[in-house]
Amino acid sequence: MTTARTLFEKIWADHVIVVSPQGEALLYVDFNLINEGQSFLAFDQLRIEGRQSRRPQQQLAVTDHYLPTINRARGTAGMANPEIRRVVEMMDENARDFRLPHVGWFHRDQGIAHVIAPELGISQPGMLITCNDSHTATNGACGALAVPIGGGNQLRHVVATQTVWLKKPKTMRIAIDGELPKAVTAKDIILSIIGDIGVGGATGYAVEYAGSAIRALSMEGRLTICNMSIEAGARIGMVGPDDTTYQFLADRRYAPKGADWDQALAYWRTLPTDAEAAFDRELSFDAARLAPMVSWGTSPEDSAPIDGAVPDPSRIDDADRRRHVERALDYMQLRPVTPLADVAIDRVFIGSCTNSRIEDLRAAALVLKGRRAVVPGMVSPGSSAVKRQAEAEGLDRIFIDAGLEWRDSGCSMCNGSNGELVAPGERCASTTNRNYEGRQGRGALTHIMSPAMVAAAAVFGRLADVRLLS
Amino acid sequence: MQPFTVLTAVAAPLEIASVDTGMILPGRYMRRHRRPGHDYGEAFLYDLRFDEAGRPRAEFVLNDPIYRNAKILVTGRDFGCGSSREGAAFAAMDFGLRALVAPSFGEIFQVNCIQNGILAITMPATLIEDFWRQLRERPGAEMTIDLPNQALIAPDRGRHSFDISPLRKDRLVRGIDDIDVTLEFGDAIESFEARRRAAMPWLPTAQRE
Repeated sequence: MTTARTLFEKIWADHVIVVSPQGEALLYVDFNLINEGQSFLAFDQLRIEGRQSRRPQQQLAVTDHYLPTINRARGTAGMANPEIRRVVEMMDENARDFRLPHVGWFHRDQGIAHVIAPELGISQPGMLITCNDSHTATNGACGALAVPIGGGNQLRHVVATQTVWLKKPKTMRIAIDGELPKAVTAKDIILSIIGDIGVGGATGYAVEYAGSAIRALSMEGRLTICNMSIEAGARIGMVGPDDTTYQFLADRRYAPKGADWDQALAYWRTLPTDAEAAFDRELSFDAARLAPMVSWGTSPEDSAPIDGAVPDPSRIDDADRRRHVERALDYMQLRPVTPLADVAIDRVFIGSCTNSRIEDLRAAALVLKGRRAVVPGMVSPGSSAVKRQAEAEGLDRIFIDAGLEWRDSGCSMCNGSNGELVAPGERCASTTNRNYEGRQGRGALTHIMSPAMVAAAAVFGRLADVRLLS
Repeated sequence: MQPFTVLTAVAAPLEIASVDTGMILPGRYMRRHRRPGHDYGEAFLYDLRFDEAGRPRAEFVLNDPIYRNAKILVTGRDFGCGSSREGAAFAAMDFGLRALVAPSFGEIFQVNCIQNGILAITMPATLIEDFWRQLRERPGAEMTIDLPNQALIAPDRGRHSFDISPLRKDRLVRGIDDIDVTLEFGDAIESFEARRRAAMPWLPTAQRE
């Protein structure tokens, strides 16, 4: 009789090769995703050392941060900024030199790494997945242990050895039980959690999201929740695999087939957390009490229900928190106690690894159908496959008819690595994951929320309660 | 990686606190390839060393020719704080530094230095100020850092001990980086991998197209 274990503990134990005297574990990496970001530093150093990629077929390079989402016909030749172009070219060169499979510019699968890995069936229950990106936990929605790594030394180590040294985190279960009210989405769940526990609330923990509200979510919704684990401080976020997971994976390109599928399924069914397993920390939320959320400040924890108001710092007792709120309101150009629904916006952005999957686009299109956006904005699907699917469903026409731009896929305006930025002083309603100062561009004022809420904001030209439109 | 045992070299005093990684490696260098002969040495503390027109600032200590071969930098608290950019350690290394001495370091930067064979040791602020005084009085003076014996010998021959974790010391003295450490478990990795592949033949592999 083995002791009861959590999903995290089972997958962790399955990947430990050795444990150092200092307590760090050397873990086997089943699959490593690589973006162009700072990864060139890792490859430059490997070149200098004369080292190669140990298991190139267990890696996938994905160019996503620096690609433009418009005017792609001329490829890199059409990119005006030489520095941005150079980063894209370096990923091409590094993938070629290190023999890595690469989803680049004109690949049929082109898209954001954390969108395409689940979409292709690469992210499977029980796997250990790494990526040089802080939102790697997204893939944990598939029942995998997905860990962000540094773009230099840590990535270099994974490429050269197919292993990673990690300190074992503590475990936390966040249970969301009950039925979600109308118009409340996965994004509202995770913003509510972060608003409650803070951006450091889960630091040092591997989080498992559980409870009936999570069970009832689609894979798209679970991916959105796990995506923002890092905004609560957790590098790892995961959801136990269940029939939703298996149905999502079946027939995807990299998913097991035939007898392999049966064998894999039998293994996957052993992974969910045992009934008696203990977590280092347990939190619970009542789904019925949640509401559509928007952020008002400069940290993802600065979020509130749309029918709320901008906080009044003079009524905050904690001095650190008061200073943060004062600075946030100053940056965001907001007055205390202003109703959130009175805040006028200048543009909208729908996209990013948080909310750019087909279900997200459907939710936004449902609100925009037959309506006009009164502010400019753009929609960037999470992958070329999502784009094709959306066009097959006619969603592109809805966005275009509403006055929004229908773009190609990439990280785009989430952090503007590719030069697609929110202008200084411009206020943007955005489906992305971070609203830190300058995240979408120097002086950009970001409000994060769900795709349907961004669509509602586009229609009203201000932060708005999507429930008024449905 | 070059082993670090006993180093005797010119020490340069950089009497500034909180030199962050953005000063050590300005952001505009972060999108640049690092290759032999085209390394980050030029970028190291660029905006302190050069003015807006790219002319060397004559008054800046590291522009004094006497420090051309300096391999030790004695500097202020929180050296390498700020962003986690790993290129900052490369910049220090490519500039020719092998050892940094300060009251404190940015944690990630300090780890990155050791990863690249640079010894970054902490000493009390009062000692650092005394080293600065000695180095001002005798520009171009040498210091010795004896890592196996965990001792620093100042220009006035004063001997001062320092702390370092046994793990980091071992890596530097043997000249092995984290990959070398891991490869010592090469057999364990190979057999783990073979077992896992046999048990889970469905695990995904991608092809280069």
